[in-house]
Amino acid sequence: MADKVAVKNLFVKFEGEQGNVQALENINFSVKEGEFLTILGPSGCGKSTLIRAIAGFQSPEKGNITLGKKEVTEPGPDRIMVFQEFDQLFPWRTVIDNITYALKVSGVKKEEREERAMHYLEMVNLHDFARAFPHQLSGGMKQRAAIARSLALNPEILLMDEPFGSLDAQTRSILQSELVRIWQKVGSTIIFITHNIQEAILLGDRVMVMSPAPGKIKDIIKVDIKRPRLPETPEFMKLWHQLYGLLETKRFGENGAEKNMLPGKD
Amino acid sequence: MKTFKDFFENKIIRQIIFILALLLIWQLLVSTGNYSELILPDLRSIGSALVESIASGEMGKHTAYSFYLIGQALGIGVVLAFILTALAMISPLIADLMKTITTIFHPLPGVALLPIALLWFGIGEKSIIFILVHSIIWPLILNTYTGFQSVSRTQLEVGRNIGLKGLRLVSSVMVPSAFPYILTGFKIAWSNSWRSLVAAEMIFGASGGQGGLGWLIYQKRFFLETAYVFAALFVIILIGITVENIVFAQIERLTVQRWGMVIRKED
Repeated sequence: MADKVAVKNLFVKFEGEQGNVQALENINFSVKEGEFLTILGPSGCGKSTLIRAIAGFQSPEKGNITLGKKEVTEPGPDRIMVFQEFDQLFPWRTVIDNITYALKVSGVKKEEREERAMHYLEMVNLHDFARAFPHQLSGGMKQRAAIARSLALNPEILLMDEPFGSLDAQTRSILQSELVRIWQKVGSTIIFITHNIQEAILLGDRVMVMSPAPGKIKDIIKVDIKRPRLPETPEFMKLWHQLYGLLETKRFGENGAEKNMLPGKD
Repeated sequence: MKTFKDFFENKIIRQIIFILALLLIWQLLVSTGNYSELILPDLRSIGSALVESIASGEMGKHTAYSFYLIGQALGIGVVLAFILTALAMISPLIADLMKTITTIFHPLPGVALLPIALLWFGIGEKSIIFILVHSIIWPLILNTYTGFQSVSRTQLEVGRNIGLKGLRLVSSVMVPSAFPYILTGFKIAWSNSWRSLVAAEMIFGASGGQGGLGWLIYQKRFFLETAYVFAALFVIILIGITVENIVFAQIERLTVQRWGMVIRKED
């Protein structure tokens, strides 16, 4: 299948108070249509910067990002981001209004909005809370609503920046399996950031491992495990240890010395 | 027994009881006969002064004039405050300038500017409006600016992500997100300007036979119609309570409380 997103020779530099920091260095990869790519890396490896660059929030120093045939220059509804933060829903709108409003901005006809919003709310099992305000929802429900909003906008690609990162383990694992179910049903293309090895394997068709300071791609590994994937199986555990090994060398640098890590939330 | 206890624990009923007690003390003081009607009129004559001045249209006329002044000042103040805040949002240099100016003028009571206003604008409406605008814009700028700065980065990015830009991003994301702060700004602006108005009117008097509630109080004192002075005070208190505890409280209930966006106070 065709490449949905292609990142070529991408460099990103931050000009901070402690001088310039190379956040990303020479990043090259592509995501195929309908593919689920997880990006795995420790704090400060630039994985959030990378997904923000694809979303158009972070302009590159060098290199380019293409979506289909278009080059990415600014944020747009063809690449919808799901954030880790629970405040990504507008608190002054009800759950369904959050979705219908986004649809209105992107030019969907009035008659269609409500039905489409409801369809995706049902998909994430949140239809009973359509008229609730975000502050009445739990963290997990807020993330479901944000996912429903993203899906309703029918983007070319879904960019998920650790959306389950602030959830408790149980809610997290429920949402992981629901996300896989939804992805299999809708067939969207997804880039999913995580620092959790198990999550990376559970979700991704491929796992891209990144290393910090400066942010680089360490390796891209295909996950050849049939879905639904279970963490107890030997093949899962084998891959887990392989990825763990890849992360370990990075955490302490190539020679075992701890390297400077970037400040940042990822 | 339970209902009797509930009855006394109801906040509103308690407040009513307190007020009735105060009025009773007032009436007792008057009935001792130690105080002249000019100093402490009895409740009945205050009541009839109130009824009479409302019936003759006098109270209505003065109240309307006060509202006319404050409405004008609010209009000018809101436009100015939003223009200045917008400029501050655009450039950090203007933001610093605004912060400095706000720090200087915010603590300055409007009434203190009266002599200057007199020199600049002469006696009359313009001077009062000048003072009211002064007491409105600084708290409004301060709060709106803080509100805009506290807008969640995530929500702004969600807005840009779904395709909002420029003014539409401001009106659809920044203003509602900063609304708790903007509302606080309005509450302070209102109470500042309402207090300044009554004070300013008394010192200025009225031009061309018109005047607000402050002027009414001054006039009635001049003619030693003390009952009317208290009647006007009653109206001023009533307006204050209505706006602060009913109008603003209702707006708050329908917006920030409903949205779960109440600002957590530090203290």
